[in-house]
Amino acid sequence: MTERTKIGVYVCHCGGNISDYVDVEKVVDSVKDLPNVAVARHFVFMCSEAGQQLIKDDIKNLGLDGVVVASCSPHLHEKTFRDAAKAAGLNPYLLEHVCIREHSSWVHSDNREGATRKATWIVKTAIAKISLARELQPIRLDVEREAIVIGGGIAGLRCAIDLARAGSTVHLIESSPFLGGRVPQIYKLYPSGKSGCEIVEELIDEIKRYPNIKIYTNAEILSAGGAIGDFKVTVKVNPRYVGKVSDDVIAKCPVEVPDEFNYGLTKRKAIYKREHSYPDIPVIDMDACTKCGECNPDFDQQPQTIELKGSLIVLATGFKPYEPEEGEFGYKVHDGVITLPVFERLLALSDGKLEYNGKEVRDIAFIYCVGSRNEEHEYCSRYCCVATLNASLGALEKFDGLRAYHIYRDIRAYGKYETYYEEAGKKKMLFIKYDPEEPPVVEKSGNKLIVRVKDLLTAGEELEVPVDLVVLSVGMLPEMSEVFTMLRVPFSRDGFLQEVHPKLRPVETAIGGVLLAGACQGPKDTVEATASASAAVAKADTYLVKGYAELEPFIAEIDPEKCDGCEECVGECPTSAISIKDGKAVVNEALCKGCGACGGVCPTKAINLRGYYYDQLEKMIDSVGGD
Amino acid sequence: MTRVNPELAKELEKFGAKSATVCFNCGNCTAVCPLSNNSTPFPRRIIRYLQLGLEERLLGRMEPWLCYYCGECSQTCPRQADPGELMMATRRYLTTRYDWTGLSKRLYTSKVWEVFCVGILFFATLAVIYLFHGPIVTDHTKLETFAPADIVHPTGYVFGAVLAFFLLSNVYRMHKFIMRSGERVNAPLSLYFSELGTLAVHFATQAKLRLCTNKSFWIKHWLLMSGYTAAFILVNVDLVTRWSLTDSPPPAWHPAKILWTYATIAMLYATTVAIIGRLRKREPIHKYSHSTDWMFLILLWFTVFTGLLVRIFMQFDLPLPTYYTFAVHLALAVPLLGLEVPFTKWSHLAYRPFALYFERVRERALQLQQPPQEEEA
Repeated sequence: MTERTKIGVYVCHCGGNISDYVDVEKVVDSVKDLPNVAVARHFVFMCSEAGQQLIKDDIKNLGLDGVVVASCSPHLHEKTFRDAAKAAGLNPYLLEHVCIREHSSWVHSDNREGATRKATWIVKTAIAKISLARELQPIRLDVEREAIVIGGGIAGLRCAIDLARAGSTVHLIESSPFLGGRVPQIYKLYPSGKSGCEIVEELIDEIKRYPNIKIYTNAEILSAGGAIGDFKVTVKVNPRYVGKVSDDVIAKCPVEVPDEFNYGLTKRKAIYKREHSYPDIPVIDMDACTKCGECNPDFDQQPQTIELKGSLIVLATGFKPYEPEEGEFGYKVHDGVITLPVFERLLALSDGKLEYNGKEVRDIAFIYCVGSRNEEHEYCSRYCCVATLNASLGALEKFDGLRAYHIYRDIRAYGKYETYYEEAGKKKMLFIKYDPEEPPVVEKSGNKLIVRVKDLLTAGEELEVPVDLVVLSVGMLPEMSEVFTMLRVPFSRDGFLQEVHPKLRPVETAIGGVLLAGACQGPKDTVEATASASAAVAKADTYLVKGYAELEPFIAEIDPEKCDGCEECVGECPTSAISIKDGKAVVNEALCKGCGACGGVCPTKAINLRGYYYDQLEKMIDSVGGD
Repeated sequence: MTRVNPELAKELEKFGAKSATVCFNCGNCTAVCPLSNNSTPFPRRIIRYLQLGLEERLLGRMEPWLCYYCGECSQTCPRQADPGELMMATRRYLTTRYDWTGLSKRLYTSKVWEVFCVGILFFATLAVIYLFHGPIVTDHTKLETFAPADIVHPTGYVFGAVLAFFLLSNVYRMHKFIMRSGERVNAPLSLYFSELGTLAVHFATQAKLRLCTNKSFWIKHWLLMSGYTAAFILVNVDLVTRWSLTDSPPPAWHPAKILWTYATIAMLYATTVAIIGRLRKREPIHKYSHSTDWMFLILLWFTVFTGLLVRIFMQFDLPLPTYYTFAVHLALAVPLLGLEVPFTKWSHLAYRPFALYFERVRERALQLQQPPQEEEA
């Protein structure tokens, strides 16, 4: 192709950030006479209105066909300068923004000559690159108002409602037979003081008002894939084996098994439903059912396979509580050592007096940071401190004469929840601080449990705390789902799903169109989970309401002349963006991230990366080869 | 291993330790306290013992007696846990624990007992005076004839000996608690003698209190203490000086009388200021008043005041008012001394200097026990 010959070069002083260590005049002098360069200038602040105007005027007056700006990091101002070029009538991808501040002046402040030489090389390669640049266009994808929400817990419910309210069709997929997730198991939520059941009931009442929310409970995801604007999820909806029947019919079931909702504290029938939940149709647990027929079942029901499509996917798969190892703080070894979620159920189910396994509970020890902030799980689960304080206050409020000991590492009752900590002190609960190097030990002594703990606040005094119940404040673990691998969503070091950037793109994943809501992203309480759900919907609506998505054009481009259909690239692509059609490789523009892995393996050099064509790269290398 | 005992914490509420559990152990109180130092840090650690109910630890500590309740800790506390008041409550508790008779605990934990005991002693004293007083001369004031010195003085010494016995036996128990706590100490008797100076200095000067930022506390406290000591000495040497219980009082310039005037003014001023302070509740030290605090102040104020009245009536030669007021004066002084000195608030006059004394002995003994450190090269 013909080279661009009217390139404008603009070197920024950045106040002095650059010009103090880089001789900007020398940089300009050494490129201004290059054959492709029409004009080269330096200016105190290129990003200022005046600096931008300089570029715009030169584009118009000198008829520039390419621009190089050498200043700060492109993360900061690439968009600024591309918008300026576009405003002056130049294709924005004919502007190259290179960094001579972080990459030169700041890191070589001890070597002015070297810094200047490096800045010159950077500018020369940019000129070489832009001299062969093509006029690129952003990729535009149509986005229909249809979204898929995976997970029917509090975050998923919030998402479905908010999406539906803005007019989108929502497919809400829940793996268990009932909506609601783990929140209904909580005795009292902070800060509202309402029970988990009440909160979920309110959300479900709202869900029912939107006909554009399609609910799939008892559903397994068989496959999931696609790209923004065009996701496909196949679900298998498992049968309930029974229609809507009255409670009397349910009561006829002769089978009783431990109720997992109450962590085995109570029993349920083989046919069961959940109060306050949805749908209001029971389900038969086929592992327990004796097929006696008393409940009028329909064992002929078959699983249904449904193909759903959506422009976006919101993952709201939630968490699971950490399950302590056998013997960890006496768990499963001594009767009376339970986890916080079990304690929540115990609180909700007990009346009059607090009993566990038929024994009245007077003294409770709460042990904090179980399964958090250790070698295995380095992160703080953050919800547990306040949740435990809140549960202890709830217990003292409901039952007279209880005494509580909080055996903690650090109380992280952040934000407005400090009052819970204060309240616990006023309620005469005792706080004992332990050293993680010497964690408390739970022992049995007669009909009491003894917690032995070295108290850091009493200069290492070894204390014995006699109690009836030990509650382990367990952390959050990510609830794993096969859909993560199907969609290739990246994980963080902690095993939760990872956002692109915690501040700049907090609810998006690296997979375009796949958003995160709730605790699948990391430990969150219900307040934070619903807030993140609404945030994910706000992000989703920027596509759904606009009707299209615009992506950067820097993706793989196949030259069908050279491609011999060897399929090497197909296996290499991390996002499954390449397929073979009629013996030639084809790129799915929505899926391709422009990583370039395919180009590296292509034996015929048939694959170019837009914006980084082979001829551009070669010329860039040549441009500094002589120095 | 020490077992936590929330029951003790509950019991301590009766002594005024109501806010211990809101403390989150930040240590601001200890940092701000001008009296706390590295070897005897307080109040934080004492409050921690209160929270957990660590009885043995509390009994073995002398720090509560180091605190003079200037209230800076309470003003600094970010949790409004009132560390100053918690230290005060600890002192009340310790007083009941040092006391082996059990009377102290009853006086501190039951207002009924307190009023009852004061009442009994008050009326018993009046009854004794009614039964044993001498002839009532009405043409001139003849106080010694009304209250014959050969009856009053021996009775007073027996009374004093009984009080001293109770107080010192309590001090002995305090000694046992402090010496037994922590590392075992066998202090040689010679140390007790060589450190007697510590006891005397702290008793006489209240030197520690002077370290408090607010110097007016020390002045008021010292006025009260020195006034009381002066009165105590004068009463005891009355046999020789014949300045009070006499039919012919000495002239105003008599040194005993000057000292007496000082004692009266000092005590009256300090107690009046304290009563006003406790009513106003502006200073942290006066914010919370236990019933025993009021009883102490009221008995002391009226005792001093009636003493003053006796002098005035004598001066104007009013026989009957002199006799009656003197009877009331004695009836007030007996419960004041009999209950306050060995069993309640006033016992601190012994516990404070003795705590410092025992701690010093303990410290020196520990130093002696340690093998001599090799000098570093």
